[in-house]
Amino acid sequence: MTRRYGIFTGGIDIPDEKQATLDEPIAPAWEAEVLRVPLAPCGGQAAEPVVEPGQDVQAGQRLAEAGPGGVDIFAPLAGTVRAVAPVTTAVGRQLLRMPAVELVDLSGPREIPTGPETFDWSSAQPEELRRRLDESQLTTLRRRPQPLGRWVRRAAKAGCEVLVVNAMESQPYVTADHRLLVEYGEEVMRGLAILARAIGAKRCVLAVDRRRTGDYDHLLAPAEHFEVEHVALPHKYPIGSDPILLKVLTRREVPCGGGPLDIGAAVIEPAGCLAAYFWVARKVRLNGRVVTISGEHVTRPANLFVPFGVDARSLLHSARPPYIMGGPMIGTLCEGDAVIGPATNVLLAIDPTPTGSPSQCIRCGWCRDHCPTRLNVAVLNDLYELARVESAELLGVLSCMECGVCSYVCPARLPLTRRMGELKHAIRRLRPGPAARDESLAHPHPETT
Amino acid sequence: MPATIKTTHPPLEVQPVFTGDSAPLLRAPEKIQSIFAVTTAAACLPLMAGWLFFGYHAVIVSVVSVVSCVGLEWLYYRVTHSPALFGRAHAYLTGVLLALTLPPFTPWYVVALAAAFAILVGKAVFGGVGHFLWQPALVGRFAAAVILPALAQLAPVGETGKTVTLTPAQWPLLARDHLLLGDLDNVAQDRMYSYLGWSDRTAPPGAEGFALPHPADTLGPLTRGEEPAYSALAYPRTDAPNREPAVLTVLPPVGDFLFGARPGGVGETCAALILLAGLYLVYRNYVKWQLPFAFLASAALLAAVAPVRLAGPNQTIEWTWFPLFTEGLDVGFTYVCYQVLSGAMLLAAFFLATEMTSSPVTTGGQVIFGVGGGLIAMGLQLYFDTAIPAYLAVLAMNTLTPGIDALWLPRVFGQKHFAWLRRR
Ligand code: SF4
Ligand code: SF4
Repeated sequence: MTRRYGIFTGGIDIPDEKQATLDEPIAPAWEAEVLRVPLAPCGGQAAEPVVEPGQDVQAGQRLAEAGPGGVDIFAPLAGTVRAVAPVTTAVGRQLLRMPAVELVDLSGPREIPTGPETFDWSSAQPEELRRRLDESQLTTLRRRPQPLGRWVRRAAKAGCEVLVVNAMESQPYVTADHRLLVEYGEEVMRGLAILARAIGAKRCVLAVDRRRTGDYDHLLAPAEHFEVEHVALPHKYPIGSDPILLKVLTRREVPCGGGPLDIGAAVIEPAGCLAAYFWVARKVRLNGRVVTISGEHVTRPANLFVPFGVDARSLLHSARPPYIMGGPMIGTLCEGDAVIGPATNVLLAIDPTPTGSPSQCIRCGWCRDHCPTRLNVAVLNDLYELARVESAELLGVLSCMECGVCSYVCPARLPLTRRMGELKHAIRRLRPGPAARDESLAHPHPETT
Repeated sequence: MPATIKTTHPPLEVQPVFTGDSAPLLRAPEKIQSIFAVTTAAACLPLMAGWLFFGYHAVIVSVVSVVSCVGLEWLYYRVTHSPALFGRAHAYLTGVLLALTLPPFTPWYVVALAAAFAILVGKAVFGGVGHFLWQPALVGRFAAAVILPALAQLAPVGETGKTVTLTPAQWPLLARDHLLLGDLDNVAQDRMYSYLGWSDRTAPPGAEGFALPHPADTLGPLTRGEEPAYSALAYPRTDAPNREPAVLTVLPPVGDFLFGARPGGVGETCAALILLAGLYLVYRNYVKWQLPFAFLASAALLAAVAPVRLAGPNQTIEWTWFPLFTEGLDVGFTYVCYQVLSGAMLLAAFFLATEMTSSPVTTGGQVIFGVGGGLIAMGLQLYFDTAIPAYLAVLAMNTLTPGIDALWLPRVFGQKHFAWLRRR
C-alpha cells in the first residue's frame, strides 16, 4: 500500500556532512577511563547518591535514588566510586551543571549486550508492560529526556492513536539512529511493538530518511510482522521535528504551545525503542547510548556505544574544545569535561560559524519564509526588543519549535532562535497555573532530531 | 565584624551554564553586506547601458551621485558619532540606485542635493539601514523631481534653427556613435511627429546628439485626449489615407524600447538589462519574484482595461474602456507594452520596490504591495501629468508598508485561522 505524503513549507537544505560516519559500524567506547554519571539526566531535581566514595560497584548497581520526576541512576560499568562531583551535560537547549557519581578503575564489557528473550511480551497485558517500563528507570533518549515509564503512562492516558518512531535525523552529521536501525533494526521494531502495546496505539509508523531506504531492506519483514508502517520522507531540515513530522504523517497540527499528545500521537526515537526492548524482553538495562562522533577536527569519525558519563574530551581527544553536543542546529557548545547523557546523540568537533555581534534586521523576510511554522520572526524580533510579550503570544510564538532555521538564514546574524525561546519562556512564566511548577510537563518541549 | 565565610562543596544542585553562542551553531554564509554588494553590482548593469546611450553626462551623474551619497553618509556618522551599520555598503547602493533614476543631464548640484535628501532625509532621520520608511533613493529622486521643473522655470528656453538650448525639464537626449562630449546646448532636436526611433538615424553635422521626446510625453496626451490629432489608438477614425496604427507611427520601434535607445533616466531605459539583472537578484533570492511580477502584471492589466480618453469622429473626445480590445488585439497589445515599457516601471518593480526594508516582510504582503504599486503607477501615468509615476507609486506603497505588515498575518502552524483577531 502506498500512501502519498506531502512536505511542509519552509525549512532549509543544509549541507548534510553525514558521509563520514554513515557506514561506520557501532563500536564500543574503549578509551574512557573515568565515568561521571550525571544524576539529573532529565533536568529537574538530582537523584540522591546511595554509594560512598571508595565503594566498589558492579555494572548495573544502583548509584542514586530518584528525586521527584527523575529516575534512579545505575552504574554503567563496574568500578570504584571516587567522589560525587559536578559535571555539565546538555539537556534540552541548555547545558546544565549537575552532580555526578565519579567511577574509576572501570572493568567489564562495553559492547551492547546480547542475550535471549526471557519474557513473552507479545502476550503480556498492557498494564504489565507499563509496570515493567516504570520499573526500568530508563529515560527516553531525546533531546529533553523524560522517564520512559512516565512517558508511556501519559501517552496511554492521553489515548494516543499513533506511535511514531522519529528516525529522520535531519540535522547534519548525526547518524546514530541510522546505525541503530541498520544493526539493531529488528530489536527496534520489537521495542516499538512493546511500546505500542503498552500505550495502546493502533497505528505504528517508522519514519526514515528517503535517501537511506536502501539500507533498511531487512526491516521490511519485521515491519510487516509487527504491523509497522514504514514511511520514507524526503530530506529537508527540520523534517525531524516532532510537530512537522506529525503534520506530514497525520495532517494534524500540534496546537500552539502544546505537544504531540494533544493530537493523540506519541513520538519516540529508535534508541528509546531499543532500550525498552532490552529491558522488557531481556531484562537488560542499557546504561549507554549510541553517539556519533564527527566533525572536521575529528581524526576518526565513528558511531560509538558510549556508557553514560564518559566525558567529551576522552572521545574527541585530538580535537580542541569547544565541542558541540546535540547537533549543530539545536545543540549547545560545551567544554571537554561535559559528559554524555541520555540527550546526547552526537558530539561534534567543528568550528561554529563566527557570528560577530548581531546587527540590525533589514526585514529581508528570509526568517519568515523558511520558518516551518510560518511565524513572522522579524516582527517577533521587534516585539522581543520592545519586550512586548503579550503581542508575541497573540502572534503565536508558542508554536515555535526552536529548530534554529531562522537564525541560520538571518543575514543580520541575529540570535533569533534564542530570542524566540526567551519569549516563550517569558510567556510561560507569566501564565498562572501548573506551568510555573513543572514546565516540561505542562508544556512539552518540541523535539528535533 | 566580617561574616565568617563557610567553605562549601562545589554546588550540587542542577543549574544552567552559560555557553556563549547559542544554537544553531552553523549559519548560512549570506550576510547583509553581500546582499548590498550583489544588488549594487546588479544595478550597475543598467547603469552601464545608460552610459552607453547617454554619454559621459550619465557618467557624471552616476559619479556625483555615488560620491555624494557615500561622502554624506561618512560625514553624517562622523558628525553624529553614531556607529555606522554595515559600513558603506548601503550608501553605495543608494548612490547607484539614485543615479539610475535621474535624467542623464541633471546638473551636478541637483544630483548632489538629491543625494543629500536620500541620505539625510531618506535614511539618517529614521536611524539608518533597517529603519527607514521610504526607499532612500526615491526620496532623493522625489526631491530632484521637485527641483528640476523649478530650475526649468528659471532657465531661459531658446531655439535657434535646428539647435536648441536644452533645459533640464526636457529629458530626452541620446548620443550616437560617440560620447556626448562638449556643449549640450548644441544638440539637434527632432520634431515630435517624425519620432520613429533612434537606431536608424545619423546625427546631423555639428550636432552632439539627439534630443527626442520622451515616450511618456507621446503616450500621455494620447490617453488623456489632449491631442485629437491622434484620434485613436490605432487607426484614425476619420477616413484619412493614413491607416497606420497611431501607437506605431509616433513611438520608437519595440527594439529600441527593449535595448534602451530611448529617452529616460540613466538606468530606466534598457529593459533587457534590467530584466537580466532583476532575474539574477531573483535567482539569488534577494528579490522575491512575486513582487515585481505583481507590480508589472497589475500595471499591464490596468493599462489593458482602464478607460482612456480617445478622440472620436468629428473632433469629439470620449472615454473608451478596454483599450486592449477596442481596436484589435495586436494594436491593443502593442499599446499595453508601450505603456509598461515607456516609463520607469521595470526599474521600479525590480530595483526600487523590492528594497527589503521598505517592502513588506511576508510574501503575501509583497504581492499586495506589488499590486497596489502597479495600479497606482499606471493610474498616475494614464491620467496625471507626472514625470515620475512609478516612483511616486512605490513611495506611496512604502508609506503603507507598516500597515500591510500589521494586517497581513498568515496563519501560524497550530493556530486557528485569524487567531490574532480572537482575543483570549
Ligand atoms: S532574517 Fe534576519 S534580517 Fe531578515 S527579516 Fe528576519 S530577522 Fe530581519
Ligand atoms: S526556531 Fe522557531 S521561529 Fe525560528 S524557524 Fe524554527 S520554528 Fe520558526
